[in-house]
Amino acid sequence: MTALAKRYWHALINQKKLFIYTFLWSFFLWITSPFLIILLKSVGRNWFGKRWLPPELTLDWYKWALTIANIPQVLSNTLIIAAIAVTISTLLALPTGWALGRRKVPAKEVLTSIILLPRMIPPIAYALGIAQIFYRLHLVDTHLGVALAHVAICAPYAILVLSSTFEGLDERVLEAAAVCGASQLRTFFHVTLPLVLPGILSSIIFTFTTSYNEFTLTLMTYGPHTITLPVRTYLAVGEGYWEVTSALSIILIIPSLFVLFMVQRQVQPEKLVGGFKGV
Amino acid sequence: MSHFTNKRQNLITFLLLSPGLAGFFGLFFYPMLVTLFRSLRPEGQTSGWTLGNYAAFLSDPDFRGIIWLTFFLAITSTFLSILLSVPLALLLRRKPVGHRLFRLTILVPITVPGLIGALGLLLFWGSRGWFNLLLLQVFRLKAPLTINYTLTGLVIFYVWHYFSYTAITTLSTLEGLDPAFEEAARVAGATPWQVLRYIVIPLIMPGILSGSVLTFMAAFGAFSIPLITGGNYRPLSVAIYKQIGIFIPARWSAASAMAMIMAALQVVFLIFYMRILRRPMA
Amino acid sequence: MDDNMIELRNVTKRYGPIVANANVNLSVRRGELMTLLGPSGCGKTTALRCITGQVTPDEGRVFIDGVDVTDVPTHKRELGMVFQNFALFPHMTVYENVEFPLMIRRVPQGQRREMVMDALRLIRMESYAQHYPRQLSGGQQQRVGLARALVYHPKVLLLDEPLSNLDAKLREEMRFEIRDLISRLGITALYVTHDQAEALALSDRVAVMNAGRIEQVGTPDEIYESPRSRFVADFIGLSNFIRGKVLAIERGMAIVAVNHIKLMVPAAEGTQVGQDILVFIRPNDVRLFPVDFAKAENTFEGVVHKLTYLGDTIDYRVIVAEGVQIRVQTDGKVRFNAGEAVKVCLPEARCRVILE
Repeated sequence: MTALAKRYWHALINQKKLFIYTFLWSFFLWITSPFLIILLKSVGRNWFGKRWLPPELTLDWYKWALTIANIPQVLSNTLIIAAIAVTISTLLALPTGWALGRRKVPAKEVLTSIILLPRMIPPIAYALGIAQIFYRLHLVDTHLGVALAHVAICAPYAILVLSSTFEGLDERVLEAAAVCGASQLRTFFHVTLPLVLPGILSSIIFTFTTSYNEFTLTLMTYGPHTITLPVRTYLAVGEGYWEVTSALSIILIIPSLFVLFMVQRQVQPEKLVGGFKGV
Repeated sequence: MSHFTNKRQNLITFLLLSPGLAGFFGLFFYPMLVTLFRSLRPEGQTSGWTLGNYAAFLSDPDFRGIIWLTFFLAITSTFLSILLSVPLALLLRRKPVGHRLFRLTILVPITVPGLIGALGLLLFWGSRGWFNLLLLQVFRLKAPLTINYTLTGLVIFYVWHYFSYTAITTLSTLEGLDPAFEEAARVAGATPWQVLRYIVIPLIMPGILSGSVLTFMAAFGAFSIPLITGGNYRPLSVAIYKQIGIFIPARWSAASAMAMIMAALQVVFLIFYMRILRRPMA
Repeated sequence: MDDNMIELRNVTKRYGPIVANANVNLSVRRGELMTLLGPSGCGKTTALRCITGQVTPDEGRVFIDGVDVTDVPTHKRELGMVFQNFALFPHMTVYENVEFPLMIRRVPQGQRREMVMDALRLIRMESYAQHYPRQLSGGQQQRVGLARALVYHPKVLLLDEPLSNLDAKLREEMRFEIRDLISRLGITALYVTHDQAEALALSDRVAVMNAGRIEQVGTPDEIYESPRSRFVADFIGLSNFIRGKVLAIERGMAIVAVNHIKLMVPAAEGTQVGQDILVFIRPNDVRLFPVDFAKAENTFEGVVHKLTYLGDTIDYRVIVAEGVQIRVQTDGKVRFNAGEAVKVCLPEARCRVILE
């Protein structure tokens, strides 16, 4: 009896490779098949009941999405808002990140924790306050208003990434440049800038993704003129036309895939989540 | 003289810090204050003080249910994320065929808009989705399993959306681990399982925990996912939104009180979590 | 039955097109300390990993204590190992680190404590039992590494460059401590290093490895005095190589023609008349005499080309016949100047023939 069990056990161990790949591919399918389904849904017609694949193909839903759901407008809203949010966040984060990364700041740890606080508190809590303030300031339903709301959550990220970039700058390299006779301006353009550019780029990628995907803060500050992609998707789900919603999602997912590619190429993903260890 | 330059340096530092601080105070601190004050006003009024909003919620069994649900979802999905991430990281570390693809896959849920992911998940796990087709046609089940709008479904969706943080941190910690430790343990007589249990897991624990903090925070504050996939299950964020999204006139004070309770709970839990995180290898 | 504790028999290991180990044969006798010496990338780490079981050879077998362990997993091989970077578990105290192999083996608690304390006493670290590795110096960490490797009385002890992460002074002290410890315990040990001084000072026997092959195995003395290949001679110390042709072999002595001069050299096994060979001699075996010195064996006239003062020795480059330069190291008692004519003596007994 035990001999038999042992043999089965060994057979299983020998199948280790099979196990590993089954696990990895199930994981892959679990993550990606929802998107595959959306894709199929967006080009399928009469896809009901017990069918694995849609019986007929059509591009009608995309036409609907473009006309009725007003995708060009939504996409331009989203990109304008993301651009403003990225710009403001980066402008805020550059000096502050420099101070935190390279200057003597009293109670630096406390200060860093405070600046990161917006990422630790559920956004809905301050979204309520922002909505009321912006209402009074007539910022609701403007691109600037929605973008400013996004800055609340984007800026801490940018500061985090930039301060660690600046902190990582090697003082000796800058000194070497100065010793070699480079003027401050030349040092900046030829030495400092190339060194920090990857950090700034990753900060921009992160803030862009955050703004592009932000839902909570948008929901509290948007209006008919500032519908963004996540809000549009939310509304479409509520309207119940799954096929049109799918078509819409596929269009809107393309920039995200581009970002995904950039993240993979440009930055180490652990930086995306790092920095909280010391909080 | 040096006193003077010191003062000047401090001023420069302050000026450099001020944009970030302005953003913090204007877009976080002030809004939080507004939320706090609003939560202390009687509903629909702009003056007067009351603790009634808090009292009403804290004595309401429904509200307590909401808090339990929020914690349940956050803790369960954090725990499951760890259970998924550790084997995943252990396998990917050996660089199996296609490991680049799997690494990219880990990043998908945090780069693709959550709502689109949620939409796809609803389609996939629905009673006519591929999951149930698989059960019915391949495993010959009689009736489809209901996943969408159930607690199980919600947990699955949460893990899908938020496990990335844990997985990325676990993987990067594991890759920073010196293989000599494992070799030393193996030579000393430990089986692969014992190496995992006594050496690898304890050594990457801080990484796992710091990643899982992020998963927990994201899951605790989750809004868009439960909003469209939660059905009748409404964790705190959704419950807060319903106060202003459904009720006419909107119940701002009630929503604010709930938001303050939620923020306090999260901070308390985080402090508690950080304590655990800092304990190993003290 | 031979008394080999570790034996690699015809072991070959390839990584793609790279051959890390090419038909390696190596045996370590019971109770002996053998050094596997070679430059980095020579395959010594691969050979070691074949013994630990981290690497499975493509061809050949591995034996430990007469048992074929080629297919036995690492943890069942009963080995003790010391690592270059110490590899102490950072989340465990010194005590727990040393206890680890015993815990894995489920040694009863009371006995366990005794064995751990014995091992710690052996390396004089008993008072550090409750410290964490990062609170210790490099030398202390490596001693704990030794204790962890020895605590369960393994069949053999493997040491993978154990001293290369320590500073020079400490390295020398630890060298003797390790030698002493291993002799006292009488354990079989294989010591991997790239440091020839360490190898010569420590070992009973040395195996010199190059490009995936074992070049020569012998006592430190044999390796130093009679290297069998140019690589071994070069790697172990300073060498002169003089290219020549064997003219004749008489009574075990080869007569070698180098340009105009003739050298008498003890013939190596397989030396043949007419063969092109290298004559090898260490610079400190070469003698220098004033030019009016009476003629002796293998003595030639030459001119001091260059000299370098090295404190206790002087390093000369002497040009003998056209194009033949000989390096000589002497103590500073008799001095010659650059440009001075001298007599150079290559004592027959110190010369070796190296076949290429």
